[in-house]
Amino acid sequence: MRKLQFFIPLALFLGLAVFLFSGLFSNPRDHGSALVTQPMPQFSLPNLTEPSRLMTNADLKGKVYLLNVWGTWCATCNAELGFLTTLRQQGIEIIGLYYVQPPEAAFGERFDMTALQQEVSRKLAEQGDPYQFNMVDEKRSLIFDLGVTGAPETFLVDASGIIRHHLVGDINEQNWPALHTQYQALLAPAPAANSTAATDAKNNAGGQGE
Amino acid sequence: MNNQFYSLKRVNKLGLQSLLLTLFLFAMPSFAITDILEFKSPEQEQLYRELTAELRCPKCQNQNIADSNAVVAVDMRHKTLQLVEQGMDKAQVIDYMKTRYGDFVHYQPPFRFSTIWLWLLPILLVIALAVVMLKKQRQQTITQNADDAELQAMIDAVRKKQP
Amino acid sequence: MIAELGHLALCFALAISLVLAIFPLYGSYKGAAGPVLLARPLAILLFLLTSVAFGALCYSFWSNDFTVLNVASNSNSMLPWYYRMTAVWGSHEGSMLLWVLMLSGWTAAVALLSNSLPLILQGRILGVLGIINVGFYGFVLLMSNPFERTLPFFPVDGRDLNPLLQDFGMIIHPPLLYMGYVGFAVSFAFAIAALLGGRFDSNWARWARPWTLAAWLFLTLGIMLGSWWAYNELGWGGWWFWDPVENASFMPWLVGTALLHSLAVTEKRGTFKSWTVLLAIAAFSLSLLGAFLVRSGVLVSVHSFAADPDRGLYLLAFLLVVVGGSLLLYALRMNAVRSQARYQLFSREVLLWSNNIFLLTATLVVFLGTLYPLVHKELGLGSISIGEPFFNQLFYYLTIPFALLLGVGPWVRWKQQQLHPLLAPFSYIAMIAVVLALGYQALAHDFATNLGLLGLLLGAWVAVSAVAETLLRIRQLGGGARAFWQLPASHWGMTLGHLGFAVLVIGVAMTKTYSVEKDVRMKIGEKVQFNQYSFTLSEVYALKGPNYGGQAAELEVYENGEKITHLHAEKRFYPVQKTVMTEAAVDAKLSRDLYVALGEELDGPSWALRIYVKPFVRWIWLGGLLMAFGALLALLDKRYRRKVTAEGVSHA
Repeated sequence: MRKLQFFIPLALFLGLAVFLFSGLFSNPRDHGSALVTQPMPQFSLPNLTEPSRLMTNADLKGKVYLLNVWGTWCATCNAELGFLTTLRQQGIEIIGLYYVQPPEAAFGERFDMTALQQEVSRKLAEQGDPYQFNMVDEKRSLIFDLGVTGAPETFLVDASGIIRHHLVGDINEQNWPALHTQYQALLAPAPAANSTAATDAKNNAGGQGE
Repeated sequence: MNNQFYSLKRVNKLGLQSLLLTLFLFAMPSFAITDILEFKSPEQEQLYRELTAELRCPKCQNQNIADSNAVVAVDMRHKTLQLVEQGMDKAQVIDYMKTRYGDFVHYQPPFRFSTIWLWLLPILLVIALAVVMLKKQRQQTITQNADDAELQAMIDAVRKKQP
Repeated sequence: MIAELGHLALCFALAISLVLAIFPLYGSYKGAAGPVLLARPLAILLFLLTSVAFGALCYSFWSNDFTVLNVASNSNSMLPWYYRMTAVWGSHEGSMLLWVLMLSGWTAAVALLSNSLPLILQGRILGVLGIINVGFYGFVLLMSNPFERTLPFFPVDGRDLNPLLQDFGMIIHPPLLYMGYVGFAVSFAFAIAALLGGRFDSNWARWARPWTLAAWLFLTLGIMLGSWWAYNELGWGGWWFWDPVENASFMPWLVGTALLHSLAVTEKRGTFKSWTVLLAIAAFSLSLLGAFLVRSGVLVSVHSFAADPDRGLYLLAFLLVVVGGSLLLYALRMNAVRSQARYQLFSREVLLWSNNIFLLTATLVVFLGTLYPLVHKELGLGSISIGEPFFNQLFYYLTIPFALLLGVGPWVRWKQQQLHPLLAPFSYIAMIAVVLALGYQALAHDFATNLGLLGLLLGAWVAVSAVAETLLRIRQLGGGARAFWQLPASHWGMTLGHLGFAVLVIGVAMTKTYSVEKDVRMKIGEKVQFNQYSFTLSEVYALKGPNYGGQAAELEVYENGEKITHLHAEKRFYPVQKTVMTEAAVDAKLSRDLYVALGEELDGPSWALRIYVKPFVRWIWLGGLLMAFGALLALLDKRYRRKVTAEGVSHA
């Protein structure tokens, strides 16, 4: 009579193997977002082209938009600019949130808004300008509240200011269609928007520069 | 230009370590980080050290925020200091970080139905193995007794045959 | 040319391992001695060929042959020769070559040292080892070939070895660790051979035990060395991080310890057979799992090599064949085995079982902590992290009963033990332990009930018990120097092993409780005070090394006003990989370490320094060394050198 208890180790191992196999095809660096279905955090940040003007949540109310966190120091972001510009031309609303790297105090660096403006306009002239406007997050305060760890990252926000999707990595031809569907759904009247957005809480992994 | 005279404090209380190590095989930027910080009280310093050891850098390859030089880790350290100075306790600071970065950012797993197995399975294993041991031990005594009983039955059968 | 020779040698080695996998098993199955006798020369040839391949790679590094991809990626002409040699195993491909070298070495050792084993058993063991060899040689040749060339274009100079690895620790930590991991393949092979043959006599356990001890010894040393190296090298004063790759080495160690104790029971009393076999399978399976975790990219770890899902797939398939196959064989064959031994509830058998309960539960804790985040995420439940706080909490609760039992175990006889005669010695031991622990705490620190005290109590309990038991045995043997030498080596092994554990527990508890750290800013001539120690920064100057530059700081250390030592800390900049490394200054004593790491230069000019006082941290590695030494002594026990007699064999 076979004692079934001796099969327990084998059964446990096979169970483990299933997870190991599944783990081979998932991205271990992808660990979800805490911000989806949360409201956009309160912020008050200077507009890049007009630093004396502070942009706040009120400026973005009522719009469905993509908030793109980027910087000229980030290679992937620069590569993404062209694609995002074509999206702008299709009518997609994209707001830029500029990620300011901490200056190296040891080298005597200081944050210089004028230099930043010049750098950004040069880069956007080269690659294309997808942004309605850019906000400069010098202290990375909104960036911190959004749970951003690097660039590029993009948030899809609906008209009532709720974050519906958090994409880590660049937007490209592979992941745009799914995001686009969600974007379109949010533009439609309320009931449809809620049901489509609520089912998609995972974010995709793309390339990410630092 | 003050030279600070720090009093000797025990950084660790029962159970928690202040700073830990990691081993790298990838080239990483400088890790000679030393933030020279001033704390308002020893309790705050203790809390800061505990928090920066328990909070995970969301961008790194398995490092706590105390050990990492990544921008997000540095920002998290500054924020932790700020929150500690504002008087938040450990749970509040961790909650603050989790709201932004998710459960991933704390090295202690959350206590939920999906994670309770982390504590339950070891307890169950101890009990299960102890039960197995007791059963095994008792089994031999029964076998032994059974052997005796069989033997006794054989003896009785032989005796019956004797006049 | 040399690299191609090495590659060719590897191909031949694969072929030999194929023959080794097939012929001896076939011979055992058919009862033919010929194919089995073939195993020994084959195994030796396998090792020689692999040595040639390894030598070829070493030569490529030595001669700075940057046409070899591995050399170009991991070495540099400015690298000192001893680090060029260690760069051989600094990459995935090189470390796999080291792995197969070790594996073929163990296989050859088994072939050479198994004269006392029955031929059929030898054949089966070598055959199983052959199968494992095939898997690994296949992996090296198909997926991680260290001999790939960069031709026709090759770099003028290499990308340099990661500066973190340019340390003495890198020279010996991986070889020792791999010897341990791979050594458990031998215990595994013994277990499978026994399952195939259906015989689990106590001789089998006696033959398997020295191999297991040797593997365990190497693994203990490897882990301890890794911890010591990280402490010295990384500048954070930490010695264990519960990183997945560290855990991957800890799990086989825990199971290996359980296996050693289970083997003792099987050898002595012929019982616990199914557990011994299962543990032998588990120990090597965990080694394989470790290899998978490090090289597949499934888990995020600072230790992992570059992730490659293809390699992961191969290793997973290999895991399925080896582990799945062995567990299936176990399930099918094991239920036919019966043990005859009987024992009471208070007996050494039961205590060893309890010991294993805690070791296996500890293994489960480490296993869950390492792999549960993956499972949780794959099930769509979100990402969680499991780290130090979790492991500390559970190990705290596991270590207490474990240590208490450890103090009791060596006193309890096999089969049955009356409690009454033990009460007196245990009371004395407990009293001495309490006095030692409380006494130390009262003298050295403000008395407080804390982890340090608990560690001291448990450590003292285990240590005093081990020493007292040994003294009792010596007295029972007649006392005096003669009896001292008469005590079997394996008994000394046990005593030292348990002493080592006690020392380790004390070290961990004390260092966790009483370590102090401070980040300070100092100018030249300034002084910083830590209780009785004061540190003065005397000078800072520029550094020039063979492949690095940077700054060095000199500090004078005073204790209660008297100068006790001079510390030299460095901050190195390696230009090729553009990395900065701290070489911490450590003043090591048994009672405490003084540890200084040099940070950045700030305005003043002043420098950021991190200073630690870490009491008892050396005890951690000393404990590990004692345990390893205990294993060495146990290995040298005379009974493993005695030839087996025919009467020793019995059916399960």
